[in-house]
Amino acid sequence: MNYKLVSTRDYIGKVLIEMQKKHKNLVVIDSDLASSVKSNEFAEVYPNNFFEMGIAEQSSMSSVCGFAMEGFIPIYVNFSIFVTGTVWTQLRQACYSNFNFKIIGSHPGMDNGPDGATHHALEDIALSRVIPNMTVFTPSDMNELKACVEEALKINGPVYIRTPRDTVPILHDENCSFHTGKAEILEDDGNDIAIIFEGSSSKEAYEGFLSLKELGYKNKLINIRSIKPIDSELINKLSSRVKGIVTVENHNVSGGLNGVISEEIVKSKNNIIVKCVGVNNTFTESGKTSDVKKKYGLSSEKVVEKALEIIKGL
Amino acid sequence: MNIEELKNKSKLYRKTIIEMIYKAKVGHPGGSLSCIDILNVLYNTRIDRSEENKDRLILSKGHVTPALFSVFMDLGYIEKSEINTFRQINSRLQGHPDRNKIKEIDANTGLLGQGLSIGVGAALAKKLKNDNDHNVYVIIGDGEMHEGQIWEALMEGAHYKLNNLIVFLDYNKLSSKGNCNEVMNLEPIHDRIKSFNWHIEEINGNDIEEILQVLEKIDSITDKPKFIIANTIKGKGVSFMENNPKWHSGGLNDEQYKKAIEELN
Repeated sequence: MNYKLVSTRDYIGKVLIEMQKKHKNLVVIDSDLASSVKSNEFAEVYPNNFFEMGIAEQSSMSSVCGFAMEGFIPIYVNFSIFVTGTVWTQLRQACYSNFNFKIIGSHPGMDNGPDGATHHALEDIALSRVIPNMTVFTPSDMNELKACVEEALKINGPVYIRTPRDTVPILHDENCSFHTGKAEILEDDGNDIAIIFEGSSSKEAYEGFLSLKELGYKNKLINIRSIKPIDSELINKLSSRVKGIVTVENHNVSGGLNGVISEEIVKSKNNIIVKCVGVNNTFTESGKTSDVKKKYGLSSEKVVEKALEIIKGL
Repeated sequence: MNIEELKNKSKLYRKTIIEMIYKAKVGHPGGSLSCIDILNVLYNTRIDRSEENKDRLILSKGHVTPALFSVFMDLGYIEKSEINTFRQINSRLQGHPDRNKIKEIDANTGLLGQGLSIGVGAALAKKLKNDNDHNVYVIIGDGEMHEGQIWEALMEGAHYKLNNLIVFLDYNKLSSKGNCNEVMNLEPIHDRIKSFNWHIEEINGNDIEEILQVLEKIDSITDKPKFIIANTIKGKGVSFMENNPKWHSGGLNDEQYKKAIEELN
């Protein structure tokens, strides 16, 4: 792994510019946060295809329906909390119409540390995945983001792409592939624990995996990538092989990654323990992002703790 | 289509609305009857759906599907027999518009306040692809104007000078509870919309001739989006429904049905 830490957010504009070269019918929608989500770089290169709708998230979200109706592929880029929570009924209605649009949510989970609880999107996976027709992707670095957006543009329907704002390790090279409904086994040392993470918690999951390795445990590290549809086949296979699963997410543990995996385990009929690392039914607070994550339950130490609880039968 | 023919169509549509709601035992007769003349004129004289680039109509007050479906039946988009299935299981005729079931529906609406924003997106998209021959029509309700999102979209429409965006406000002045302006006052609505920098017109929205005239008049406005306050009567055409908030939603018994059809004949 290249352990250089980079914010995926910084690449959103570049990825959109690259996509526009192949897909002439892309339009990017903004609600006055282009410089924060880097869609301003797209606006500079393709000003005609960039639409500023003002700090009016609900209207911005509904406007994508109009663009899609006319044959464009609108991409609404904003903070995760706005692009799912603020606009939830507008998003739901757009999905009900099954328009071909994409939303990109930056600043997911606690990635917007200093802004505090109001801006911490700890519910966006839950809010998006529960809507029919919706596909949900969680890329973990800028290279995976590019592959993920490319994949999203192959889908004729709504896709939510959740992009880290905090700095994260670069886990993929430029030519990485991304397939809907397929998870990625990043490391496979053995069948003790399967550590499964969503993109914005890769650092904590990876470091937890390394600490457990030093302690002599042989685990698997899984990048889930596609929250919906989920890789049922892999989860099913894992659940019959490993001693337990630890899910790691920059999200409320209810309704998010842990929720998804638990639902799959129930369906698999394999009796396996699933423990969660993430935020447990609480609002958070302002602070340095790494401090907030640590205080509210997302850390490599928690990954180790939960894995050891399973191994020791606690 | 001449005025006499259009008037006859409104009559037919009103009867179909009553028929549909009577059979379903549920629906929104009041608002369907108030906006039907606008839908009639738009679909029969304005909306070109023959090409890939076409006019759009966003029925933001989505609960008035009986009005939409009565026109669709006449245009042949739905079968006459389907009218009997309105709001019933396995029907294409949903309580609120569903484009997945009927392709002539442009967008799913009914969660109030969202349609005008959809119209803004479509109007911008038409500009971007240089489709200068088609308009985007949006029909909104007065109670719906209490939604904040409407005012977001009003700002956006004016900001982008969307002269291809035409809004009809079905101003029947009654919402579910009663007098719309007592629920939350919209007045002075004319001044308010004007201050948002839209071109504004005010007509009798149940008068076919006035609807035709205003559409012709606003064609020459090229620098602003257009907002038409269409003063209408809720339940228009059925005496016991007119201006009676009780008929915002609900079904008709046999006697009411008979009386309504008699009056509409």
